[in-house]
This record gives sequence, C-alpha cells and structure tokens, in this order.
Amino acid sequence: MVPVMDKRLYFHGGTLVLEGISRDEKQIPSSFLWSHGKWRTEAYHYASLLPWLRENAIRDTLPRWQPLNYTLYDGRQPHDYQAEALVAWQKAGYRGCIVLPTGAGKSYIAIRAIHHLNRSAVIVAPTIDLLHQWYRLLSHAFHEDIGVYYGAEKMIQPITVTTYASFGNLMGECGNFFRILLADEVHHLPSPVYSEGALMSPAIARLGLTATYPSEEEQQGEGRRRLDLLLGGPIVYALNIDDLAGERLAAYRTERIRVRLTPDERQHYDCDFTACMDFVKQRNLLRQYGANWLRELHRLSAKDRAARAALLARQRVSRLLAGCQGKLQAVDDLLREHVTEQVLIFTESNAVAYAISQRYLLPVLTHLSTAAERKDILDGFQEKRYRAIVTSRILDEGVDLPSAKIAIILGGTTGARQYIQRLGRVLRRAENKQAVLYEVLVRDTSEEGKVQRRRAATLRQGEQHVYVRPD
Amino acid sequence: MFTSDLIRPFLRTHGRILTVDLLDETDSYWLQTALELITLFQGHLGMEQANWEKSLEAYEGTRIDYLRIRGLARVLTSAATFAPKAFPHQPRDLRARLFCRGPAFENPDMFHPLSRQDVLQEVAGELGMTAEDLDKALFADHPGAHVLTYVGPAWTPQQLLQRYNLEISRGALYRAIVVQVEIYDHFKEMWRYLKLFKLMYAAKELPDGGYQLRLSGPLSDFVETDRYGVAFAEFFPALLLGDRWSLVARAKPHTRQGGKEQPVSMLPQDDLLLYRLDHTCGLHSHYRRGREYDSALERTFASEFEDFEEKFGETRGKWRLIREEQVLVLDGAVMIPDFQLVHTQDEQRRILVELVGFWSPRYLKNKIAKVQAARCPNLLLLVYESLKVTREDFGEIEGELIFFKEKPVIKDVMAAVEVLAEKLYGPAPMPKQEAPPLLADILSRCNLFQGAEEAVWHSLEDLGTLLQQSETAFAPRRYGYPSLSALVKGYPDLFEIRRGNRKGRPLEVHVLSQRIPIAFPIIPQKEE
Repeated sequence: MVPVMDKRLYFHGGTLVLEGISRDEKQIPSSFLWSHGKWRTEAYHYASLLPWLRENAIRDTLPRWQPLNYTLYDGRQPHDYQAEALVAWQKAGYRGCIVLPTGAGKSYIAIRAIHHLNRSAVIVAPTIDLLHQWYRLLSHAFHEDIGVYYGAEKMIQPITVTTYASFGNLMGECGNFFRILLADEVHHLPSPVYSEGALMSPAIARLGLTATYPSEEEQQGEGRRRLDLLLGGPIVYALNIDDLAGERLAAYRTERIRVRLTPDERQHYDCDFTACMDFVKQRNLLRQYGANWLRELHRLSAKDRAARAALLARQRVSRLLAGCQGKLQAVDDLLREHVTEQVLIFTESNAVAYAISQRYLLPVLTHLSTAAERKDILDGFQEKRYRAIVTSRILDEGVDLPSAKIAIILGGTTGARQYIQRLGRVLRRAENKQAVLYEVLVRDTSEEGKVQRRRAATLRQGEQHVYVRPD
Repeated sequence: MFTSDLIRPFLRTHGRILTVDLLDETDSYWLQTALELITLFQGHLGMEQANWEKSLEAYEGTRIDYLRIRGLARVLTSAATFAPKAFPHQPRDLRARLFCRGPAFENPDMFHPLSRQDVLQEVAGELGMTAEDLDKALFADHPGAHVLTYVGPAWTPQQLLQRYNLEISRGALYRAIVVQVEIYDHFKEMWRYLKLFKLMYAAKELPDGGYQLRLSGPLSDFVETDRYGVAFAEFFPALLLGDRWSLVARAKPHTRQGGKEQPVSMLPQDDLLLYRLDHTCGLHSHYRRGREYDSALERTFASEFEDFEEKFGETRGKWRLIREEQVLVLDGAVMIPDFQLVHTQDEQRRILVELVGFWSPRYLKNKIAKVQAARCPNLLLLVYESLKVTREDFGEIEGELIFFKEKPVIKDVMAAVEVLAEKLYGPAPMPKQEAPPLLADILSRCNLFQGAEEAVWHSLEDLGTLLQQSETAFAPRRYGYPSLSALVKGYPDLFEIRRGNRKGRPLEVHVLSQRIPIAFPIIPQKEE
C-alpha cells in the first residue's frame, strides 16, 4: 500500500527535498537528482521551481521568513543613482548585482531594498569588521535587534549579518529563514568555498554589491562559480567611478615618523635579530623560499633546535618592535598634538592595543569585542563621545568612519600594507580639512626595510606623496 | 576538538595514503611530559588564564616538540573550566564610563588638566570603588582574566596521551569529503550519533552481517565539499565504540597556513588522500556507550517483557526478545527498530517492535513510509497516545499499530504480535521438540461432569474454558486446527457434536469419555 503522504517540498541543510514523490515520477525538473530515497537539489534553485510547485500542487513548507514591518529611521533621500539602481534591480526580478564605486552608498541601497521587500534578510560581508559595521548600520536604520552569525557570536534575528566564512554554515542551519540575500563586496562570492553558501540559500531576492565586478577569469576555473548563477542574475546597474567626481572621494596625506629604540631595547634587538637572521642566512631560507621563508622557519622549528631558537628570537623581535618605548611616546605626542581631532590608532598586536587602551583610557576594538560593544565604540566615536579608538584590527575595504581625521599606524610589517592602502577611504575629507595618516616606524630596524619594499610597490600604484617628519 | 594548527604538522602522506603521526602512549618521555603538564595545570587552579598561558610558554621553553605540548595542553584546557570572576560592576560598563574621559596622560598638560590617576580616582569615586580596583577590573571579562575553577577530570598521563592521539586522529577528517564506514555491532549507538551530528548516510548490507555506510551531508550530492569534515570528526569517537569496524575517508590535502586553496574539482581524482582506520588502531573513544535503554518508556517496556518471560517460563514463551540487532536498509537509509521478537521455533518469524513515544507525527509518517517502501511489513508500532495522532493519520499500513496510554500493556502487545505473525507467516509452527500433550490426557484431567446420568453437552466456550483450565497452553492451533469447532470436528473419536436449541443453534459437544485413553491427534500437513 502506498502510504498517505502529501507531496511537499522542504528545506534540508541547504538543499531542497521533495517528499511523497516517487523515483518513477517523470516530470521532475532537471536540477533534481535522486539520492537517499528522495529527490533533492541545491537550495538556490528554489525561486525558479516555484511555478512548477504550484502546477503540481506540491505543498511548499520551506519558507520560515516573515514580514518585518520595521520602521525605517533613515530619513536621507536617495541620490538619483541610488534610486535608479534599486529600480533596475526590481525590474530584474530582484536578482542581480549593483556595481557602485566605494563611497557611493551601497549600504544605503541595501537597507532600502530590505525595507522595500519587508522580509527577513541575510547580509554577507567579507570580514568581521564589516560585519560589525553592517550590524551598526542596520541597528541604526531599523532600531531593531539585528542578528550576527560568525565564529565568536551566533544570534539569529530576522535580519542577520554573517561573514563569507560562516555563510555556508548559517545557510545549512537555517537558510530558509531568509527571503533576501545581500552579498556585500560580492566579488568574494565566486570562490569555491564561499559560493557554497549561495548554493545553499533559497532566497528569492538576491542582491550583490561591489565596486569591482569580477572578471570572467575571476569567476571561472579552480572550482569557482559564476556570479550570475549564484545571484540568479547579471549586473543590473553599474556606475563608473568617474561619474562620482570629487567630494565623496578620500583625501589624505601620509606622514612617516621614525622613532629610536632605547639603548636597552637596541641591545636586545640586535642580539635577537642577528640570532634569527644568522640562521636564516645559514640555511639560505630567503633564497630558497622567498616570501615564504617564515613559514619554512615555523616548519623547521618543530624539528630543529637551531630553528626553534631562531623562531623564538624572531618572536621576541616582533614583540619588542610592536610595543617599544619610542612608539608609545609617539602616540603620546600625537594624541597631545591633535587635541581636538578624532584619532584612530592601529597596532600590530592585541597586547599593545590593550596596553595603549589602559594607559590612555581609550576604547579598544579587538577580536574579543562583541558586536554590541563595537557598536557602542564606533557610535561613540562618531558622536565624539570617544575621542580616539585603539584597534588591532585591519579595517578592511568599505569600513566607514567619516569622523576620523587622524590615523596613527604603529606598524611596519607587510601586514600593515593592506590597510594603509585602504585607510584613505576611512579618512574622508570633511569640513574642508585634509586627513592625516601617521605611520610610526622604528629607525634602523627591519621595519624600515619593509617600508622601502612597500614604497616601491605603492609608488607604482600611484600612492600620494609621503612626507617624512624630521626628528 | 583541536584547531588545524595542532593537527596539520602531524599529518603524513605516503603517495595517496594519509596517516597521522601519533604519540607512543607507552613512551616514558611522553608519559613524563604528560605528567608534568597535568601537574602544572592543576597547580593553576584559582589562577587566571593568562597566567596559565605564560606558564605554558615557559614550559615549552626551547623544546622543539612544542606543538605536541600545545596539543596536550589543549586537551587539558578543553576539559577544564575557566570562569569569569564575579564583578560588582560589569567591566563593559566600567570601560564605557571611563573611556569617554580619555585620552588621559600620566602628566597633565594645558588641554588635559587631569592626570590618568585623577580620572581613575574620580570615576572610581562615583562608583564607590578604589582607583586600583577599577584599573584591574577594566578587562576582567576577557578570557585572559578568567579563572581556572575546574581542572577537569583526574587525567592519568596515559589517558592524556590517549585522548591526544584521538584528537589528532579525528582531526585528519576535517578535510574529508566523504567517509565510508563498515560496522558490525552497536548499530543503534552509531545511528544515534549520526543523527546527532546531522550526517546523512547511505547504507548497504554486507554479506558477513555488517553494514556499509557512506557518510555525507546534504550538499555532498552536488558539490565535492569538505564542509562536513568537522561533523565526521565529531562522529569518529562513536565509531570507536564498536568492536569491529573500519573507515576509509577521501580527504583534500591539508594546505599549509596561508597556502592557496586547491579546489577539489581541479584535483585529479588521485590527488584526494585516503585515510584508513579500523578497530585495530588502538585509539580509545571518550564517548560512553549509551545507556542500556533509550528512554524510560523503552526501559519500562523491556522490564515488562522480562516479567512476561519470567511469568510464562522460557520453554513456553514462544518469542525471544532481541534488542537492536536488525538493521533495516531502506533505499539506502537505515532504521533500527527498538526490539525484535524472534519465534523460538521458527527463526523466520520475526516481528520488529518500535516504540514511538517522542517523535513528531511527521517523523513517524516518514518512518512508516520508509518501512513500507522497503516492503517490510513485520513492524509493530507502539504509539504513545499523547502524540495526538490517530489511526487514520497512518493511512493504510501493512504493519500493526497499538496505542497505549502510559506504558505498553504486554498482553496487548503479544496479541498483536501473534496476529501480525499469523498474517505474515501463516499459522504458528508446532513446537519442534515436543508435541502438544495428547488431547485425551487433557480431557482426562478435566472435570467434565461425566458422573451425571445424562450425557453432558458443553457449549464450545465452556469446553474451551475447561480445556484451558486443565492445560493453560491449550490452543486448537497447536493441534493444527484454526478453531475449536474445527478441532472437535477433527476428532470424531473423542467428541460428539450436535446443534443446540439456543438462538443461532450453536454447536454443542459431548466428550466420549470411554474413548479417551486411545485418542491420538491427527495433524494436518502444513502447506508449503
């Protein structure tokens, strides 16, 4: 006897499953395959299957999304191009990508889109910093609890922000909670692992946002997936950077400050630095492994006593440079110098970030800060309740802190390079004042060598003139 | 579970074969290291986590096996508890309050008339605490300031090494795309853990009594993904609970930190690594074998069944109870009923019993659909009434269904088992060892009122009662007849029959007493 089972579709870990439909059934859409006793397909086919479900009277038990009925507390009128972009996306069936230059207000478009569709939404961002920024923006826009889902915090709300790294897990767990998928900096999405999250999402409305739509090559090969497949549509609206001249672009200058080690620090530095580099030279690590020499040193350190000693020496060098007296004094000086301005301080380690925070009584952002505390700190900074922020985080693309006028980077390692290039966007011109980015380096140490190498690279990319402060 | 940085250095590849470099659990060097770490860690009871981290770094010193030490330490800390201190004020509130006064400097200047100490003092004063306490409490909510309040189980050095080896062995599965296991025992346990870790499986029966399960996740059919690697690793200790098992995993090569990810589709099939293990691997599970019974309900039923067996004695009980041995492979999925009843005289007669006390109706429906799809109608479902499902909800099912209120009534269960067995397998077989007692013997023990002057005519019901009083196990079936009326007709030497006067003219029986001693049953041939 055939049991009484109604035909239905349900969501299972990022896939769609048909129940009550036998293997012999002929009229199954081609994306389905028979596995584990049921017809199954990836969740992203959901929107295209809806007409078929209706025609065949298959009950759809997938959606767990809900109307939001949130009030929008953002009174700003959209720019013409923002309104045009939204209309274009709407006409494309709410699927596709909007390409706008950095600073053109992509997040504003996203918030309008959510408000317009009035349904649960998931927002995917490339980094935890951007996740927190979205959390802040959305909290302000709707005055409602916003969910965050990433390694350290997992709270799901009708509007939830996640990272590309956690996207797949969130979709597997409750992909059917979200009718809207918003992928920020969507050029990250085609990667083999990140794109799985999009395959696992049944969201009907899908919007990608980016300033740099990936090239054909970047969407192909090596397990990558095409954006139009993942978003269910192509570019629906694009605006060139030249179309947005002048005002919205960043303007800043860079000043380099070179500090000295104390005699005591110098002695330790020389000793440890020599110890490490002697080993590196002796084993020819630089020549053999190039930029990967440090990785090789790590590998050797688990086998070879000399390598272990060299690695430990290098760790002491790093700690010393990150928190040396001279750098802390430079912070002291700059904080006193820019008495009335909003200052961002970047450090290379958490330990130094906490040390500065405690020493000057300044709020600190690290990987330990929760979304709520981050929001308080960044809001406080915008409202000028906090005059300065210390952070060990690399503020990645798109992080928005318009009130910052001064940035201090206690750095020199190559890791700093990424954010120096992007900080220009953080420091925006306001009140006709140019922003300043101070880079604090230790004289006659490995930091300077790195800067030399970096300068060669950035000059090629047309970085603005760097002014070196005299001692 | 370990992070990859503690596992990657100990993975070895030989061609396509992936192995893990385990610690020798009997090596005195490692036993000594384990002992020192345990002692060191336990000495940190009541101290801050940052303190422990410093001590560990000092213990590592210049040792080159520091990655092993970190792994062993991770086992210790994972099983221990670091708890935040109790603070009169939330550190977050203290920070918010204090930091809006920053920046403050050690030496005041024109723009910053208050020194750091002054600011601390002011804010501390508002909160009724000392400046020093405020300074200390600022980041007291961070993990480094958490206090070791419980050091975990009392590890022996050997246990610590065993657990370490288990952790790196399961870590090799993080990058697994698909895992195939063969299991031969403890099916219910394995199944329960598979469900717990939300893994999917396709099962196949093996010729020698085991099952082959191909483990994967929902997306695996469509994408070669390692996103279920962690779930495989979580499941792994459950596999170790078995006495006989084997595992083979296909895994992506572990990339070095910062190395470029090589997508699976680009790898030639041969580049996927093979990781093999079986019950001879010497690893020890830290999962406990499950309790004997799943739920109170199951336990009740099992004890009822034992009562039943005791009451009727083993030789007379027709059914033997087996727990959880039969695995039903249903279109690749697996179902393991709670109990199996095997007929003592005919091993072919098997009734599967499943208690349904805690599942949703939807789950139940799926389950029934599954069973029927596999044409396995010998399932008896015992359904707890409060599930709010009705017989109609089940549609037409081949198996049987009994509802119960608090606990299943064994009498009803056995009756249903009999009905189901007869429906499926035909009449029960005769006991092989002993023929039923001769009817004449039974009759001779009955009080048949033969002393009366007139011949006594019994109704069929009365006769049945009399026979059962004499021989509790009496049943026409034991003599090869479906009913008592058929039986009396089959023994014309023993019984005389007539139609009574009452309504419906029921059969009445007179026992021919003089013939009793020489009566033999006539057993009809069983139809094949």
